[in-house]
Amino acid sequence: MSAVRARAAEPPVEAAPAPARSKPPKPFDRPRFLPVFTGAFFIFMFAPIFIVALFSFNSTKSLQRFEGFSLEWYRRFFEDESLRESLVASIQIATVTMLAATALGTMLAFALVRARSRWAGSANILMLVPLVTPEIVAAVSALVLFTQIGWQLSLETVMVAHITFSISYVTVVVRARLAALNPEVEQAALDLGATRVGTLRLVTLPELWPAIVAAALLTFALSFDDFVLSFFTTGESPQPLPVRIYSAIRFGVTPTINAIGTMMLTVSALLILLAIMLPRLLGRRESGLGVLVGRETA
Amino acid sequence: MNDAGEAIRFDHVTKRFGAMPAVDDLHLSIRPGEFFSLLGPSGCGKTTTLRMVAGFEQPSEGRIFLEGEPVEKVPPYHRNVNTVFQSYALFEHLDVKDNVAFGLKRRKVDSNDIRERVKESLELVQLTGRERSKPRELSGGQKQRVALARALVNRPAVLLLDEPLGALDLKLRKQMQVELKGIQREVGITFLYVTHDQEEALAMSDRIAVMDRGEVRQCGTPEEVYERPEGPFVAGFIGISNLLPATVENGGVKLPTGQRFAAPLPSECSEGSDVYLSVRPEKIWLDEREDGMVSVDGTIVERVYVGTTTQVIVELSPGVRLVALEQNAARQRSDDRWEIGDRVQLGWHPEHALVLR
Amino acid sequence: MSEQRFATTLLLPGGLWLLLLFALPLGLVLAASVGSTDDIGNTIYGWHPENYKQAFDPLFLPVLLRSVGFALATVVLCMLIGYPVAYYIARYGGRWKHMLIALVVLPFFVNYLVRTYAWVALLADEGLVNGAITNVGIRDEGIRFLNTSFAVVGGLVYGYLAFMILPIYAAIDRMDEALVEAGKDLYGTPWNTFRHVTWPATFQGVLAGSVLVFLPAVGDFVSAQLLGGPGTYMIGNLIQQQFLGADNWPFGAALTAILMAFLSIWMVLYLRSAARASREAAL
Repeated sequence: MSAVRARAAEPPVEAAPAPARSKPPKPFDRPRFLPVFTGAFFIFMFAPIFIVALFSFNSTKSLQRFEGFSLEWYRRFFEDESLRESLVASIQIATVTMLAATALGTMLAFALVRARSRWAGSANILMLVPLVTPEIVAAVSALVLFTQIGWQLSLETVMVAHITFSISYVTVVVRARLAALNPEVEQAALDLGATRVGTLRLVTLPELWPAIVAAALLTFALSFDDFVLSFFTTGESPQPLPVRIYSAIRFGVTPTINAIGTMMLTVSALLILLAIMLPRLLGRRESGLGVLVGRETA
Repeated sequence: MNDAGEAIRFDHVTKRFGAMPAVDDLHLSIRPGEFFSLLGPSGCGKTTTLRMVAGFEQPSEGRIFLEGEPVEKVPPYHRNVNTVFQSYALFEHLDVKDNVAFGLKRRKVDSNDIRERVKESLELVQLTGRERSKPRELSGGQKQRVALARALVNRPAVLLLDEPLGALDLKLRKQMQVELKGIQREVGITFLYVTHDQEEALAMSDRIAVMDRGEVRQCGTPEEVYERPEGPFVAGFIGISNLLPATVENGGVKLPTGQRFAAPLPSECSEGSDVYLSVRPEKIWLDEREDGMVSVDGTIVERVYVGTTTQVIVELSPGVRLVALEQNAARQRSDDRWEIGDRVQLGWHPEHALVLR
Repeated sequence: MSEQRFATTLLLPGGLWLLLLFALPLGLVLAASVGSTDDIGNTIYGWHPENYKQAFDPLFLPVLLRSVGFALATVVLCMLIGYPVAYYIARYGGRWKHMLIALVVLPFFVNYLVRTYAWVALLADEGLVNGAITNVGIRDEGIRFLNTSFAVVGGLVYGYLAFMILPIYAAIDRMDEALVEAGKDLYGTPWNTFRHVTWPATFQGVLAGSVLVFLPAVGDFVSAQLLGGPGTYMIGNLIQQQFLGADNWPFGAALTAILMAFLSIWMVLYLRSAARASREAAL
């Protein structure tokens, strides 16, 4: 590699006509193969989803032939009371998870960046472990806990499990933003007469706002879509929507599942859009996407 | 009890981070209305001192008094000082007028008064018309002015400035130095100014405290500090000092070249002790003499043309060099007179030389 | 209150929550893993390490091995598919780079279950693919896609591909263009350039992607359940069975602990390697 680096450090030579080579360059690196491959990749990625959406509007039960346009399967979804309840349940769970995890996670992020006590180090590790824990492990341990303390499985147990798993995501996002803030700005606020609480309110939180919003929406989306945690910690009824989808698939494929899937897809898409647009709508320069990825402008 | 004759008083203040003292037994007073600079290289403790006055750090030992009152129990938001930060530290989500008004609003000043005072403040820093701009729309120099206005509008007893001009280009910096000095005279507020740029300190200050590794090496007017440095550090840090190692002999000094001459000796110098002989470059004459001057010979090894002057570097003996300064006045240009390799005679009045330990 | 004390107090709500509702339950699982069950299936705590031995029983060991095997296959396939895509977008994407990467990530905002379902619907006997096959006349009857190892691995690849692409993309993007140009000068063929210049420079990204795919893939059970069958069970399915079917929680807990331990080893190894690499890069 050092030979290459040395070579790269040399000043660029004047463009010379391409030297004649004895064999033609292999197709691997040639732009012809790559774009085709990438195009195929995108088709491979999007086609199944597109087909699910397409067949959710099919007028017949077939998943092989598209006979005509119809909202039949959506009608069936909305007429099914228990499915409606599941949709509402998923939204409730996601909302509560979003609020609680964002609050807890933001506080934790603040503490991790500002506090220099010896607890901060251990708390940091504790916060990172859920991020690398497989969902099934987290789900199983939640189930064991609830059973051990005698808490019957219900919507609330799902919420608690979701919150536990989401706190770390919020903390990571908010912490990145917080650490990037210029500490002198807060000192300036103190210097000019704002108390610590006032500084928090008037200076820190407004600067932190895009990150908090992005983290909140991320949490909502993760919770709404979550399956494994919900599966292990849900009660009898109502069950979150992904659990219903799972049970339905076990029985067999029907376009109703397509309809549910398409709806969930739409909700997720709207959330992402919201996450990206909201900071801009509120007059900030950054977009939510940029905040999540840690840049000032996306 | 101390009277308000002192704006700031440091009473044997020491600040330690871990075992090392960042500020070591700082003991001085700053008078009201003074433009006082803390000058020194990075790590000398000047910024730490400033932060202690502002209230962001507490002294490990000693006390600080603001306008005669001790401040160790007073948090930054209750102290009658304001700070201008090196990074400007403007509130990005507020526009210029809200930035400037911030301190006034915290003190619940009446909103008509706020409007008036913000207007005044912006006029003072020549930013009228930019009230509604956001910080990101401003240049570095403009941001600095907003920071200044934001601090001054509160009419603090003391204004603390932490290398405020560090991020500006040279021309702007020089211009701002003049403006800052003018503003300080106009509002009459005590300025405590931190910088590592000795030219800046010399240009703006009423008094300078030169600091090195937590200690104040000398505290005095720019002239005192420049012409009569107390010790090799101050002599070396301020301007070009030409420190020649020498030994005391017979009431004078002897250079390693063997030359001896008279020089005013500080009182504690005993025969044979090692000292430094310090002469400012502009005090050295090249191939010209007046009566009573001391002279040495040397070879020109380098000429550095810096526009207004030429620095001529002369080697007296291997490793022993002096820098002399020649004005590039119209009637004679240095490169007409000397070439590298020429032998030249350097002279100075003995009272312009200092013996430092 | 000083800022330090204020900040430390803020540590409490989140910290306590994670301690009591995350760390403690993990401990409970470990405790349960050496427990046993009574007649009606309740867990009794005690010392029964034979749960672990049972995991390596010939009945269950193939499941564990299969999980690792599937996960490895998934990693390899993700690498083979993901690297060229990441390369193309990073080096030839130009102004569209960010949009293309966003497009890569976009499908992953769709519910994992729905994405897996998409393939179930496609590959089912009455699904679109078989429909196309019978219509076009390749075969009369259609092919059984589901309930095979290929379907499961395919589902896993589809599920985790983005986790491989993103780190590789970041590594390639960060790579200095001049290095590749210089390499072309020195090494002649594109293949050699790749082997000696591009690959070593992006290796850390590939490693990161591999870990990000391998860890969740080993514990996955959705793909195996929906796209496969009892013959393709992975450790996740086994765990799920113990807890939600067979009511043998101690055994399930032991399996969970084994999974955690197994993954932790790779996690630690990876972190060491990444730390070493960034130390070397800084030199």
